Amino acid sequence: MAIIRKIKDKIRELAKKEINLKAKLPKPAKKSAPPEEEKREIMGERETMVEKAKFFQPEIAPRPRREMPTELPSQYDRDRIVLQVRDPWWLHTYWEVRGQTFDRFKSELGESFYRAKRTLRVYDVSQINFNGSNAHRYFDIFVSEHTNNWYIDAGGSGKSWIVDYGLLLPDGRFITIVRSNVAHTPIEGPSWITDEEWMIPEDMFARLYGMGFGLGQSSPVGKAWQERVKRALFSGVFASPGMASMASPVKKVPKERKFWMVVNCELIVYGATEPDATVTVQDKEIKLRPDGTFSLRFALPDGKQVIPVKGVSSDKIEERVITPIVSRETKSSILVKA
Amino acid sequence: MLHGHLPFVRHPEHEDFLEEDWLYEGITETYIPLIQVFEKLCEDGVDFRLTMTLSPTLSSMLADPLLEERYLNHINKLIELSHKEIERTSWQPQFQHLAIHYLNQFCKARDTFEKYGRNLALAFKKFQDLGKLEIITCGATHGYFPLMDVCRESVRAQVKVAASHYESLFGRRPRGIWLPECGYQPGQDEILKEAGIKFFFTDSHGVLHGTPRPKYGVFAPVYCKGTGVACFARDLESSKQVWSSIEGYPGDYNYREFYRDIGFDLEYDYIRPYIHPDGVRINTGIKYFRITGTTDHKEPYVPQWATERAAEHAGNFMFNRQKQVEYLNDFMQKKPLLVSPYDAELFGHWWYEGPQWLNFLIRKIACDQDEIRLITPSEYLAENPRNQVITPSLSSWGWKGYSEMWLQGSNDWIYRHLHEASAKMTELARSYPHADGLKARALNQALRELLLAQSSDWAFIMGTGTHVNYAVRRTKDHLLRFNRLYEDIKSDSIDNGWLSDIEYRDNIFPGIDYRVHQ
Repeated sequence: MAIIRKIKDKIRELAKKEINLKAKLPKPAKKSAPPEEEKREIMGERETMVEKAKFFQPEIAPRPRREMPTELPSQYDRDRIVLQVRDPWWLHTYWEVRGQTFDRFKSELGESFYRAKRTLRVYDVSQINFNGSNAHRYFDIFVSEHTNNWYIDAGGSGKSWIVDYGLLLPDGRFITIVRSNVAHTPIEGPSWITDEEWMIPEDMFARLYGMGFGLGQSSPVGKAWQERVKRALFSGVFASPGMASMASPVKKVPKERKFWMVVNCELIVYGATEPDATVTVQDKEIKLRPDGTFSLRFALPDGKQVIPVKGVSSDKIEERVITPIVSRETKSSILVKA
Repeated sequence: MLHGHLPFVRHPEHEDFLEEDWLYEGITETYIPLIQVFEKLCEDGVDFRLTMTLSPTLSSMLADPLLEERYLNHINKLIELSHKEIERTSWQPQFQHLAIHYLNQFCKARDTFEKYGRNLALAFKKFQDLGKLEIITCGATHGYFPLMDVCRESVRAQVKVAASHYESLFGRRPRGIWLPECGYQPGQDEILKEAGIKFFFTDSHGVLHGTPRPKYGVFAPVYCKGTGVACFARDLESSKQVWSSIEGYPGDYNYREFYRDIGFDLEYDYIRPYIHPDGVRINTGIKYFRITGTTDHKEPYVPQWATERAAEHAGNFMFNRQKQVEYLNDFMQKKPLLVSPYDAELFGHWWYEGPQWLNFLIRKIACDQDEIRLITPSEYLAENPRNQVITPSLSSWGWKGYSEMWLQGSNDWIYRHLHEASAKMTELARSYPHADGLKARALNQALRELLLAQSSDWAFIMGTGTHVNYAVRRTKDHLLRFNRLYEDIKSDSIDNGWLSDIEYRDNIFPGIDYRVHQ
């Protein structure tokens, strides 16, 4: 009888445990339950979410992940051209023209549309209010049908530019499809404009200027010196190394031949004793695992290592010493075939 | 001037995310060592002045509970590893004392981290409140402003979100800003003025090539024509001594070698628990070698020698500044100012002895001489309010001095998408001036996604060629989320569940207001 009661108790206990376990499990969603794997992921997330989110109201039911595209659209359904400055000498432009815009030109221009060249017309609009025809000068760049961006060599610094994307017809007419913003390139040296009230002698400025670039105090004025500044500035020597933190993976110094090899030795000393024993290795006490085992790992240099391992029983009555003696000798050779 | 920045690399969706290590390494090797230097200076009664950026993305991560907890795990694992290393190197004393050195460093880092309630932004605030540090702001997500000039609404949002975030963290408005990548586009100082910002920095040629010609070169600040916002330009001579890969201090053979880390050097099974869970070897931060020379042969690192070199280099730096100032004094009618900005992570992370060097430099300047002193931009302007008025030139401190780092074959494709999203964000802000509830949440999140997509770091990484996939993914993900939000808002069909999910992932700037994007 006693045994039967015991079994019954055990069953009751187990049943209770199961109820507890169930209580801990998330309740299944009422409506369309997502696949098992997904559900688990979202559940885990929710716990963290509730704990951490500062401004977010959690939902009760699990929700399916939303399908997101993985690539950005190639077009935005706009006619547009943007001009930006890369440096004093170079501009960058990108553009987009809708199919329907081209269709309109097709019907307006008829046959000559197909013989027209897709063209970037670059206008120098320095110091003027551009009205479409008053540019100091312009130059054309022919681009292929599928090109949608271009680097433009502006041929000079310190100017203002506008670019049109359009069609150059066989009869020489240029038809603008889209016109860009104005972009201003910086000057590539010191300004020629000097503030009269604040005027200082030329050579003083030159020295300050040279010092500003860390070229010392005796920098001469002249072409060679300008070149030096330019070299210093654009060689990238002063550029910030950027985020070394993001370049963590090892960068080996480049050398003539890439082949290399390293060999190292380590020694593992391991053993077991009574869990309550005291163990020292080379006179230093070590920690045993709960089952009385231990292992130690050493980098092994060349030469001889004497490693006394001493175990003392918890009542201090028994003592054992085991001493591995290990020696390492490394030889190496290098052969480079001609 | 130290520029502290990391992009927002918080990935709650994964237990271990490789890119989060950028933050943890920065905390252990740069931010905590700097705090410890400042603490010791205060303790010893050494007065100092430094200017520092904590970019909004960096300070947000420093104040994020999830990342704080993960950092604690990270440092605990390093402590565990250094214990193992002490044992493993028992027969190699030249390495064992370094293992002990790292154990001490990591334990002290953990103490400092706990001391400030795990929020290191508060530690820096303390030194600002003491008047030693001037913390300035940055673009909200470090967007590169010159390439946002066709959508200045986004520049405005970058500045205003950053200024509000600064205020919430430091209890006052920011006086200065570090333009991301030092990228200045003439005219954008208007936006700084609107936000109440009094000064910013440019690279040397930003002022030297300004119009009209600056009378004192880079050795005095100038005011921008039309706005009166002050502009401080970098002195390249002092920069070069520290930055230069050829003649800079960090290349000294006694300094620690960055590229020899036990994460790569040690036996795989042993190091496995301390590298990336996918089994990819990564830097652990435990490095045993000194630079030694130009070849692959490396000798063990000797901390004492490195410390001696750091002290010598600090003395050399100070001596050169004295000489510079002595020379400049002859023909300037005001006190010359030398602006030496550095990436904060150069100190400690890249140049391991950097914080020690800074410590020696500050102490030497305070105690050994009286020709030069440290000053913050605000203090200099207060003492020297009269300055020349010019229009600075377009410039950056990146490769070749302008925008090429962020505008080249590998990354120019992003601007078409970024500018489009900016235009759409402006449209949203104008169309819904009084949104509330779910719609306001969606609009705010749209701005968060746009800002995150604009981080100059993504274009930078695409340009350098390492971690490219991650940078491309981040750019696309934020833009795709933005585009979806835009469609949902316009069609009045916001998916609350999905919105909550991305609010949880991209949780930066809790107090953001989409209306600033105008």
